[in-house]
Amino acid sequence: MGTVLYLDHAATTPLAPEVHAAMEPYFAGGFGNPSSRHPLGVQAAEALDEARRRTARAVGGRPRDVVFTSGGTEANNLAVLGFARARRRRGAHVVLGPTEHASVAEAGHALAAEGFEVETARLDAGGALDLDDFARRLRPDTVLVAQMLVSNELGTIYPVARLARLVRRASPEAALHVDAVQAAGKLDLSLPELDADSIAVSGHKIRGPKGAGALVLKPGTRPPSPLVFGGGQEGGLRSGTENVAALVGLGAALELASDRAPETAAAMEAARTRLRERLARVGGVRPLEPGDRLAPSILAVRVPGAPAEVWQHHLEVRGVMTSVGSACQANKGGVSPAFAAAGLSEDDARRVLRLSLAADSGPLVDAAADAFEEVAAELAAEVG
Amino acid sequence: MTACTGGAELLIARYGEMWLKGKNRRLFEEALVQNVRAAVAPIAKVVVRREHGQLLLRPERRYEEVARRAAEVFGIASLSPARSVKPRLDDIVEASRVALAELVETLPADRRVPFKIEVRRSYKQFPMTSAELENHVAERTIGPHEHRLRVDLKGAEVKVGINVRPEQVYVFAERRPGAGGLPVGTIGHAVCLLSGGIDSPVAAWMTMKRGCTVAYLSFHSSPYLGAGSKRKIAELVRSLARFQPTSRLLIAPFAEIQTAIRDHAPEGYRTILYRRMMQRIGSRVAATERAGVLVTGESLGQVASQTMENLTCIEAASSVPVLRPLIAFDKAETIVLARRIGTYDISVLPEPDCCTVFQPAHPTIRGRVQECERAEEELDVAGLVDRAVEGIELREL
Repeated sequence: MGTVLYLDHAATTPLAPEVHAAMEPYFAGGFGNPSSRHPLGVQAAEALDEARRRTARAVGGRPRDVVFTSGGTEANNLAVLGFARARRRRGAHVVLGPTEHASVAEAGHALAAEGFEVETARLDAGGALDLDDFARRLRPDTVLVAQMLVSNELGTIYPVARLARLVRRASPEAALHVDAVQAAGKLDLSLPELDADSIAVSGHKIRGPKGAGALVLKPGTRPPSPLVFGGGQEGGLRSGTENVAALVGLGAALELASDRAPETAAAMEAARTRLRERLARVGGVRPLEPGDRLAPSILAVRVPGAPAEVWQHHLEVRGVMTSVGSACQANKGGVSPAFAAAGLSEDDARRVLRLSLAADSGPLVDAAADAFEEVAAELAAEVG
Repeated sequence: MTACTGGAELLIARYGEMWLKGKNRRLFEEALVQNVRAAVAPIAKVVVRREHGQLLLRPERRYEEVARRAAEVFGIASLSPARSVKPRLDDIVEASRVALAELVETLPADRRVPFKIEVRRSYKQFPMTSAELENHVAERTIGPHEHRLRVDLKGAEVKVGINVRPEQVYVFAERRPGAGGLPVGTIGHAVCLLSGGIDSPVAAWMTMKRGCTVAYLSFHSSPYLGAGSKRKIAELVRSLARFQPTSRLLIAPFAEIQTAIRDHAPEGYRTILYRRMMQRIGSRVAATERAGVLVTGESLGQVASQTMENLTCIEAASSVPVLRPLIAFDKAETIVLARRIGTYDISVLPEPDCCTVFQPAHPTIRGRVQECERAEEELDVAGLVDRAVEGIELREL
């Protein structure tokens, strides 16, 4: 395998050198426990303070409303389970977005097992969020609404701010949680702009370290009940000695991502447009672009002939790293709602490849498209 | 590029009028523009212009954050998200229609809210009078909302404003309160004594609200206290840093003074004598910082050191005036403000401050200046103050 053409940035990203440099001091000398009262501890606590400020600034929140977690999954779990449980006395009705990540959807199943009434909203025929349908589901006793901002499968941007207005009016008791893991660094992520009660972000999707994420709360919102109990770190919302180096990395990565978001988006958009153009010319390849607006970071395509997995492995031999669309829902084996709304049959759903870009993917696009052409020819020859 | 599409693209920021008279007006306006620019710059690229006695802000992105940040800048009386259109009738109606629809979404659904359209017309060549334009727009916009709104020119709770200018017409519905006060930097410079408690950060904020810049002076009793209390002070200063261009935190070593007072002065006077030393150090810092006054968070009668007699003893040691913005505040009132400005959560972190070191069991309630002076004869006051001032650690935050 020669050059790697990494087009799987929605899965994870390489650590940025600046982020690595920021983390470095906290692996060795700066090993203090932030809860310790001696200077080593205070130094670690100050590093966390700075990471908290950077995290808050990147998403337009306040430092004290940042709850550091072990990643996006824990942040989503904390919001879904924690908000619903904390508001249980006010109602037990929950509405989840139609295409939520498993860390939200599965947490929803856990809530259902606790006796919550959990509904799932739906997409319209064009793959956009069906806001009328969503509005009809909202009730005065709704205590939690969770809606992702950018689809990890297809890149659709969902109109969270408009949904927020509906939620505020119909469900004053509800917390609105937004999984922004795929949005950070690509869109301008702003808690006040979204008018959400919380957003979840993850470090490793934005050139930060794995094992670091955050739930950022809206000022004054009733906080979620904790999932992890112990020494009362993170304002009691997430006990356990903080992963200082990783969280310093998260803060640094979010700051970089946020500062560069406009340029990153523009560069991704250019790369995506070029890639889309080239792939659309490969026989049988069809770009999937549901909804009104798409993130510049993701291009999903339906490939012809062989299943996506075969394409994936044929591409990887040529150095192109892609991801097979999460075609089947783990539980039922049906088509994921995002795919169904994009008009994909169960058979189509097995043929979805996801390519996800970074700001510096531009120069790789043509080589990746060449590989696509080669694979298309090779697979067509086999079938023939 | 914005994650969501709020409609308005402009912010109108109005400023108070009190200080708009006389020669200082220009200075105030320039300071305000500069402060607004500095406040919003870290959030997004924002064009800030002065126009007809108000500020127009045009954020490139992160509109809502810019709006909230601008609302905290002292000197801003109120803000409105606004749209600008050319002075053409159809455009004005359309912008009003959209602004009204957005406004209605925020209104209670259980009653018809009294409402009006208010035109201000500085462009007198515009082909309609203000009243005509008001009627014209009202007739074409209220229809879909008649079950939510009723026109009431005198008792309107909400309104759509239309400012007609020669080049542009500004249409807005919402009016948000601003921070009030005076532009920071127009009144003077103060040194604020910061303890780490709830009160002094609020006192600093109030001082900035009235147009002063503030430098912070804190005292640290190392090795009786650890680095954690310095971290807390620095966090407090950081949380207040957004209210002025730059913030300087000076931390003076205080343990030598405290042990000297412990060893040589009557126990009941300890706290008063600590504070007298703080005033002396503060006065010295005020001179080097070119500050005109000291600011403290003292409130009359709140604790033993804040009786009228003890405040008198304390102030007598200062060579510059001492301002006490919270002098008549109840604790509960101060807490409300501390929560609003975001210092409360930091202030209640369990870090002791230097006044707790060798705290007397029975502090004097009615101190007398003469007693203080007699006790201080046992101390090398000048030497202690000199060494504390020399030992000051500066942090720019």
